[in-house]
Amino acid sequence: MRPWALAILFALCLAPPCAQAQEEARAAEVRIKAAFLYKFCDYVEWPPAAFARPDSPFVIGVLAADAIADELARVVEHRTIHGRGVSVRKLKRGAPLAGLQMLFVGGADGTRLAELIAAVKGQPTLVVTESEGVHAAGSMINFILVDDKVRFDIAPQPAESGNLRISARLLAVARKVLAGPS
Amino acid sequence: MKRPLLRSLQHKLLAIVLMTTMAAVVVALGAMIAYQLRSYHRDLVSDVTTQADLLGRTTAPALIFDDAKVAAENLGLLRYRPQVGAAVIYNAKGARFAVFARDDSERTFPKLPEADGTRIEGHDLIAFKRIVDNGEILGTVYVRADYALYDRLTGYLFIAASVLVLAMLVAFALSAILQRLVTRPLLAVSEIARQVMETRDYSRRAQRLSTDEVGTLVDSFNGMLAEIERRTRALEESNREQAREVAERTRAEQEVLRLNQELESRVQQRTAQLESANRELEAFCYSVSHDLRAPLRAIDGFSQALIEDFPDSVPEEARRYLGKIRFSAGRMGQLIEDLLNLSKVSRGALERSSVNLSGVAAEVASELQQREPARAVEVSIWEEMVVDGDARLLRVALENLMGNAWKFTARTAKARIEVGALRDGGQATYFVRDNGAGFDMKFVGKLFGAFQRLHQANDYPGTGIGLATVQRIVHRHGGRIWADAQPGKGAVFFFTLTGGS
Repeated sequence: MRPWALAILFALCLAPPCAQAQEEARAAEVRIKAAFLYKFCDYVEWPPAAFARPDSPFVIGVLAADAIADELARVVEHRTIHGRGVSVRKLKRGAPLAGLQMLFVGGADGTRLAELIAAVKGQPTLVVTESEGVHAAGSMINFILVDDKVRFDIAPQPAESGNLRISARLLAVARKVLAGPS
Repeated sequence: MKRPLLRSLQHKLLAIVLMTTMAAVVVALGAMIAYQLRSYHRDLVSDVTTQADLLGRTTAPALIFDDAKVAAENLGLLRYRPQVGAAVIYNAKGARFAVFARDDSERTFPKLPEADGTRIEGHDLIAFKRIVDNGEILGTVYVRADYALYDRLTGYLFIAASVLVLAMLVAFALSAILQRLVTRPLLAVSEIARQVMETRDYSRRAQRLSTDEVGTLVDSFNGMLAEIERRTRALEESNREQAREVAERTRAEQEVLRLNQELESRVQQRTAQLESANRELEAFCYSVSHDLRAPLRAIDGFSQALIEDFPDSVPEEARRYLGKIRFSAGRMGQLIEDLLNLSKVSRGALERSSVNLSGVAAEVASELQQREPARAVEVSIWEEMVVDGDARLLRVALENLMGNAWKFTARTAKARIEVGALRDGGQATYFVRDNGAGFDMKFVGKLFGAFQRLHQANDYPGTGIGLATVQRIVHRHGGRIWADAQPGKGAVFFFTLTGGS
């Protein structure tokens, strides 16, 4: 049984009323998000120019979400994305953002987020966030909670500017597909 | 024209056509139906399997990202596939993730997914298909589609039945029309054949209506009729001829029979007349001979008395005349004696006994020798010739035959007489042979008649009655007599006697 599947089950079955339940719900959310991050890669195409060498690993940068980073590292262990090894990096503030194929930014720090996104704009880096109203800033996939379930919106426009192609099948399961930046 | 047999022929042809048609149509329709159903089944299975596969691939992201709504939407597209009644997506744990049902009656789903495959359940085709993504099993698709094979089969069968009926009707109509081409000439021949058999009229001819084998049959039939007609006529002719011949023959036979009867009665009549005449003649002959002897004896006696009583007064001339009278009287006496003998052998009953013919012949020979002692005749008589007959008559016969032989060898130098027998089977032929004067065979017909003489009385004395007497005796014994001779070389007389041993 896959851990993320277990997490889904867990999330579906238990509606935590108490603090401990709150904690458990939080852990489930982390697991689900980590699993989703990994699965997104199957539905996104990166241009060859995104990798320094043909055998370069697939690098996922995680900023301000260490729990998710740890969980994701566990998920991708012994797995590949598009035939490449996967490397998960916990990023510190101000760390360079070049060479990342995916960037997950945890938390909801609006201004910092805008800066970060601006920094990778035009690069083949899939930007995933988990806060409201970030799409205007250029986030491509944004997690939201709907009825305690993890869902996501997609904005294909910024991804296209980074030469990333998001599969229509992924768009089909998004909560919303947002039009390009106004 | 509606004879049972002919109707039966028509029926048979019709039955053949209909059965052939039916067989062809049934086989063709059966094959088509089987092919249709098979391809329907295959197409449906492949279609539903593909559908399930497609559905799985479409719903894979929904499963991955745990979006049951999207999965339900995906399933909802099945609305446009009317044959799909229900579908279910199970997640990896086997729980129902999304369901689709065309209407409430279809709202029954299996609790748990099954392995990949399809199966038929009643009127449903059920397919399960695993959803696999990157080697991970994400869940299972269940699709239930209407399996209308039986409806289709029913429909096809109905169509097949209609086609069959139609085909049979068309075949029936066609064969009814076309059959006439075949049967009409046949019926015509058959009708003529029937009429010929009923009326025995072989002059009828069948009309040739076609140029096929039936036409050939008609020609052959007509040829046979012509031949039969010819033969019948010939036979009738010959029969008439025969009947006429038979009638003629019968008439001729009756005529012959009638003539025969007439002849027979005439013969009997004549025979009776002859016998009576013969008897009268013989009686007359006997009495005349007997009565003639007395005056003859007087003539002879008084002639002798004249010579003896008047030796001197009778001149020499008269004496010579008297001698001639006496000689003639002697000859006449001899003649009368022979005539009496001849009539004697004809009269009285035949007294049969065993007679030693050799002994009788020897006695006759010795008598002949005594009568003329001067003659030297070599007589040879075979021994032990014993016959069954009348001793007196046989003696008379031998006296005549041997006397003739003795007489006709009078002028032969070495006279020889032989009496013997030849045996031919049980029949013995006796003969008396001499080497005397013989006679010419052209006179043999006259030989046995009375008073027939072949020689001059001056050369050989005789009355000409002897052989007639011998023949009479042989005939009375039931035998036969004949002769063979050559003038100057002698004669042989053969005779047979029935009842001889």
